[in-house]
Amino acid sequence: MKLFAATLLVSAAFAAPAFAQNNAPIKIINVGELSGPGATVGTNFKNSADLAVAEINAKGGILGRKIEIVHLDTQSNPGVARALVQKAIDENPYAIMGPGYSGSVKVSAPLAAQAGIAQVMGGEAAELTQLGFGTLFRTSFGQQSSMPKIAKYIADNLKAKNVAVIWVNNDFGKGGRDMVTKELTARGVKIAADISTEAGQADFAADVVKAKNANPDAIFIYLNEEESARALRELKRQGVTVPLVGETTLIGQKVIELAGDAANGARGHIGLTVDAPNDNLKAYGKKFQEKYNYIPDHNGIKGYLGVYMIKAATEKMGKVDQKGLPDALKGLTILAAQEPGILMDLTIDKNGDLDRDSFLAFVENGKQIVKETLPKMSK
Amino acid sequence: MSRSLLLKALGLVVIAALIFVPLTLNRYGIYIMSLWAIMTIAAMGLNLTLGYAGQVSLAQGAFVGLGAYTVAIMMTAGFGFWLPLVLAIIITFAVGWLLGYPALRVQHHYLAFVTLAFSTLVFLVFRNEEWLTKGIYGIMGFKRPSAFGVSFQKPIEFYYFTLGALALASAFMAWLVRSPWGRAFVALRENPIRALSLGVDTRRYTLMAFAIGSAMGGFAGALYAPLVEFIDPTPFTLALSLNLLMMVIVGGSGFFFGPFLGAAIGVLLPEWLRFAHGWYLIIYALFVMLLLIKTPTGILGIVENMIAARKTRAASAARAAASAGLDKA
Repeated sequence: MKLFAATLLVSAAFAAPAFAQNNAPIKIINVGELSGPGATVGTNFKNSADLAVAEINAKGGILGRKIEIVHLDTQSNPGVARALVQKAIDENPYAIMGPGYSGSVKVSAPLAAQAGIAQVMGGEAAELTQLGFGTLFRTSFGQQSSMPKIAKYIADNLKAKNVAVIWVNNDFGKGGRDMVTKELTARGVKIAADISTEAGQADFAADVVKAKNANPDAIFIYLNEEESARALRELKRQGVTVPLVGETTLIGQKVIELAGDAANGARGHIGLTVDAPNDNLKAYGKKFQEKYNYIPDHNGIKGYLGVYMIKAATEKMGKVDQKGLPDALKGLTILAAQEPGILMDLTIDKNGDLDRDSFLAFVENGKQIVKETLPKMSK
Repeated sequence: MSRSLLLKALGLVVIAALIFVPLTLNRYGIYIMSLWAIMTIAAMGLNLTLGYAGQVSLAQGAFVGLGAYTVAIMMTAGFGFWLPLVLAIIITFAVGWLLGYPALRVQHHYLAFVTLAFSTLVFLVFRNEEWLTKGIYGIMGFKRPSAFGVSFQKPIEFYYFTLGALALASAFMAWLVRSPWGRAFVALRENPIRALSLGVDTRRYTLMAFAIGSAMGGFAGALYAPLVEFIDPTPFTLALSLNLLMMVIVGGSGFFFGPFLGAAIGVLLPEWLRFAHGWYLIIYALFVMLLLIKTPTGILGIVENMIAARKTRAASAARAAASAGLDKA
């Protein structure tokens, strides 16, 4: 009898790996900026991806298989990012997530394309999805989608003729500046001042003087959150009263906290923020704060969405097929009613760009107020 | 006798390992090894400027950048690889020579500041002169080289290419430090006034130390561009110069093999430590700090101290034996 029990145990032990084969976790590797100048970008992305993975696993995973996510740090250096995406591919993951810096995406995307592995990344530069990799997918509104909406607002609603543009000179800021300049010029709006600033810049006095001297009808501000707050304070100090227009990074919760009164009146286009009038977004923001004890920014939302995009595409295929994943993502429409993790209805186009609703918001009395929902471009 | 044999054997084992071990590595491992070879060349150049000639430079990263940009810009313009490579070396040599002039007037920290300013300036040129460098978007669309019908496209092929370049640079360096020039550089570091009084043209040798060190940085950069196949300004900030400086000091400034070890610690160690996830850079930093507290002269400094200590012990033992013999007599 004992022998029989032992035999059973041994055979069970042998059988287990064979059974586990079909049930092995789905491996996702996130290559992100966890140290260096991009650390806030990468850490938000990573934490949110972890959050999404934990949620999905708690509900039984994707098609009954758990997700295993591994994070690799690029040190915000494109050379290291390339090495790590190579490392990730050598480990044959189901999908790659990240990096967040557009330069790092650009150097690593050819490797993922060669291997035919989907890369769900955070880069915002307009050109990324126009290079024809076929395996590259955004997790945010690219600048080519948001800037036309902003330019249209400046030209049609504000009826501005001269606009000063204040931007941060890195790949994020430069991409936005180039795109908005093109869109404004096309609508007959003149760029009265083109002011480049540094990442991490503390003093915006000289830049604001320059913008003021150009006598613009509106100022477009495209900086990271902390710099946005400093610029808003300086604009108020120098008594600038023309409309201040920006993107998610100008009127997010963090900026409002840092800038205080100076943020009132700032307005802009927002893709996704946890302040948006949407229950799924609010729920996500709450869960994130409970787990990590701070408010996530748009990079956090990207990491969260990315995991759910992979989940939705896999469920559409009905199987875990690494090579089929890029094609399954293309042209996919994911409805928030069916998959709350996607936060808002969203369509992925054949280039890997996203299309979804966005908002026009103002800051009033220290609160972000959404004035208008701007529909999908394709509608 | 036996020790020199041992050293030769060790050298052969290391060379064999450098040739054969990468065959067993995956593409990521090979990439990191290639990066190690390239950073060793750049650190070797800085070791000449700093370790041998005693001139503190925080601009080596900028020279790597200059080399990389020269190759990237010319290759995308359709010049192949070899002409841009030669030009990268010539340009960095010339710019290094010019940067040497301040070194004639200022020393130590002040020289570090001058080179720091240069480093920042070069970064701004890379980023802002879009007509030439494509600015923050960077340059892509150039390929790894080929020579005599042999392509170096695949990771392992390109690794052997960088290893060959490292061998070439090492041979040049070995020749240089043993040549009268090398002796003049050391004289310059140890006591410039004495060197001058002995007829060493300190002015020319200071400029030369800068120029040759910079040209090796340019050479490394020329190899870095085809390794990554994409160049933007971000890798060439001051951080790279500081990293190279750390490699030289940790390995052992002024020792021939210092840069090899230093680059291994600067490039390979953080990668090995990745199993520690979020902690890896902290562990790495602590290790480097402890190492430098323990041995300010770098790893090879410890080895030299050990050898010196053993020699002293042997000598005092011999002295004791001799004096004991005298007592008897």
